[in-house]
Amino acid sequence: MEQNRSRRRLLNWLLGLWGGGVLGSVFYPVVRYLAPPEIPESATLSAGAGSARLLLPNSGRVVPFGSRPAIILRTPAGELRAFSATCTHLDCTVQYRPDLQRIWCACHNGEYDLNGRNVAGPPPRPLEPFEVNVKDDEITISRTS
Amino acid sequence: MTRTCTVAPLVVAFLLLCAHAQAQTPADAATAAFKDDVHAGAGLACASCHTAAGAGAYQTPRAAIAPLCATCHSDATYMRRFDPQVRVDQFLQYQSSTHGKRMASGEARVATCSDCHGAHGVRRVSDPRSPVAPLNVTTTCARCHGDSARMQPFGRTATPPADWSASVHAAALLTRGDASAPTCTACHGSHGATPPGVTSVANVCAQCHLREAELFRASPKKDIFDAIGQAECLVCHGNHRIESPADHWVGLQEGAVCTQCHDQASDSAKTIGGMRDGLERLSTAVSAAEALLARAEYAGMLVDEGRLALREARERQVQSRVLVHAFADEPFTTTATGGMASARQAREAGEAAMRELQVRRLGLAVTTLLLVAFLVTLGLKIRSLPDGPS
Amino acid sequence: MMAPRFRPWLEERLPLADAIEALRHKTVPQHRHSLWYYFGGMTLFLFGLQVGTGALLLLYYRPSAAEAYESVQFIVARVPFGWLVRSIHAWSANLMVASAFAHLFSVLFLHAYRRPRELTWVSGVLLLLLTLAFGFTGYLLPWNEISFFATRVGTDIAATVPLVGRGLVRFLRGGNDVSGATLTRLFGFHVAILPAIATALVALHLLLIQRHGMSVPPSVEERAGQDPAAVRSLPFLPHFLLRDLFAWTTTLALLAGLSTFYPWELGVKADPFAAAPAGIRPEWYFLWAFETLKYVPATVAGIEGELLAVAVMGAGAIGVLLLPFFAGHTPPARRVVVWVGIIALGFMTVMTALALTGTAP
Repeated sequence: MEQNRSRRRLLNWLLGLWGGGVLGSVFYPVVRYLAPPEIPESATLSAGAGSARLLLPNSGRVVPFGSRPAIILRTPAGELRAFSATCTHLDCTVQYRPDLQRIWCACHNGEYDLNGRNVAGPPPRPLEPFEVNVKDDEITISRTS
Repeated sequence: MTRTCTVAPLVVAFLLLCAHAQAQTPADAATAAFKDDVHAGAGLACASCHTAAGAGAYQTPRAAIAPLCATCHSDATYMRRFDPQVRVDQFLQYQSSTHGKRMASGEARVATCSDCHGAHGVRRVSDPRSPVAPLNVTTTCARCHGDSARMQPFGRTATPPADWSASVHAAALLTRGDASAPTCTACHGSHGATPPGVTSVANVCAQCHLREAELFRASPKKDIFDAIGQAECLVCHGNHRIESPADHWVGLQEGAVCTQCHDQASDSAKTIGGMRDGLERLSTAVSAAEALLARAEYAGMLVDEGRLALREARERQVQSRVLVHAFADEPFTTTATGGMASARQAREAGEAAMRELQVRRLGLAVTTLLLVAFLVTLGLKIRSLPDGPS
Repeated sequence: MMAPRFRPWLEERLPLADAIEALRHKTVPQHRHSLWYYFGGMTLFLFGLQVGTGALLLLYYRPSAAEAYESVQFIVARVPFGWLVRSIHAWSANLMVASAFAHLFSVLFLHAYRRPRELTWVSGVLLLLLTLAFGFTGYLLPWNEISFFATRVGTDIAATVPLVGRGLVRFLRGGNDVSGATLTRLFGFHVAILPAIATALVALHLLLIQRHGMSVPPSVEERAGQDPAAVRSLPFLPHFLLRDLFAWTTTLALLAGLSTFYPWELGVKADPFAAAPAGIRPEWYFLWAFETLKYVPATVAGIEGELLAVAVMGAGAIGVLLLPFFAGHTPPARRVVVWVGIIALGFMTVMTALALTGTAP
């Protein structure tokens, strides 16, 4: 009788132990899931593009936008602009040329003006423009809808 | 009376029949074609060019065609009425061309204005139906320059158009529709068509392939090639049949273009070998990274940063291939090393994804153990209940 | 000590005691067909799992054509354990449909639809239809190529219904074609409208089960003779519930394994202007209907083949819904029901197999 009672107590205790383990392995992922990840939004619609203060007039830099490159530049007049950095000719990554004040592609000498329009060389189409917003010195570029 | 009545209608019918049965005269064909002509649109008519037409003579001798067109097309004041921006030096260029010179010396079997532009259905160059529109111009040149019967009297081969059709430029133009790709006229000129000087054709290549040209001209090769009178680009890349260059062109192994002048004993053997190894290592690294990323994606993992790094590695690979044209250790080695670094980053992203997969499986194993322990205990509990199990 | 006083405090305010008493008296008959009793609870467990994982997915999912695919990609790639929540939701959906069908067919073959359980049956069939609707609406939400075209093909069939077909298609698609409007609309169905109806029906279904108790199959009743007490039974609390828990935990382990070794794929983002890729087909639980439509000739006795097939399937569904009201109670009548069930199940199985092996008609 006593043995039965203590066996039952042991069984219940073990059940509680493993059951707690199972519940833990259910709740642990749920709790982790509920906490928002570092980058709270998908980077395919908008992405951070670095500090606004450090981007001087007549300069530009290439930043990642999801898995494709984007170029953020500040015109000589001081305005921020952003475009897709994939050249519309053969997909090379473009760069900013301060001497030409144009966006330039090293592969076949293609040029785009500061509005992203293809103005010289082989590129057949303008660069896709992105919207630029600045908050607390952080630039965010996003797809235009 | 009755005889006339029966014969007359027969005669009329016969004449009408003949009129229909006869083929369209050249005059009729020309009139029909002229309706689409850009000159007709400008208000010109047959008599504007065929000034002796009153005498019924429409035929113009071949040597007289170009000067005839030039009466208007070289007159800046006249042309300004129709298109203020149009050029008026075509005839001058023609006179300096091989076609023009031969025509002037009495050889009529060369091209003149109407052979390329047409005579009575002349369209603007920008019209896609024009025989001299960018996508059509090579077909037009090939009508003579691809015909061995026509070329033979001049001692020329008829292979260039076929060679060009097998080139990357033809693929770019005709398959991808890239209108910036060079056709016959890009290197040879159109009105001033002349075989380009061996040393000057590279200037045309440089218009698009600026980077390679700059590197070449700054390299030791420029002076050497000038001295031996060799064309810059053509020695390695060809002139008409320009195909996609490959990594194995570089090096001292059999089939490499460098072996045209260099061998193992030359001073530059070390540099050449270095570039060869660099390209090969980079190519292997990029392929390996690509394969790993593809495997990770297939397994359900997402590797955005890896893809970005791989894209960078590929661009460095393209840049390295361009930097071969500096024919020196630097800056090739720096870029190739940078490419290796990016490829390594891509591979590491792929490996991290595969490790994450392993972590998940490990987590699953732990969870499964807990679940099994729970199930076993629960089973025992069920069996131990009074009014027992079924 | 707070604990001893907590229970009386609750019992004074909530009808807990009544509920627990009712459950304490609940028994589950034990016989050779008892295994099938588990499928109802299994379906309910999987439904609960869907609600839970669905609610979690709602925290990150975006129901617009521009963002849906990317948001699912975000969940799977960036959110901690997002891959697990999403794969469990997708796998559990399929398991739930299978479980619901198993539950329906077992109830059919064990004749548990008999008086007084007609309304339990009706609410159950409606719940099965809702489950299929959940599957259909949820399938489009990741907005990938396969689900986009499968939705287009599936909603096309609604056009064959006479008179209201056109309007029905517009109602389902939120327009004339499958678009972002369809996505938003089906999302609304999937997370609000269908759950509301399902909750009400589940509540009704459970209430009725409590009211009438578990049905004993006629063959078992006959064998036990005239004495109903001769049928062995288990107390629901704790015996049957613990066995339920055993089954549910095993299912959870199965889902965790499936999610780890066979994660649900993301696919390629839907492009409404691209041509449909080859081999578009709906989820496995619709395959039998899809395949049947392929075999039906273009016209049958002057009526359009597809319309006839849809009409027959519609009539079949209504027949299933109202089964208890015209099924006979004598052993021969019950045998007819069993045979009809076997033929239906066989037909659906064969059609599904044909569709999966890609055998063209």
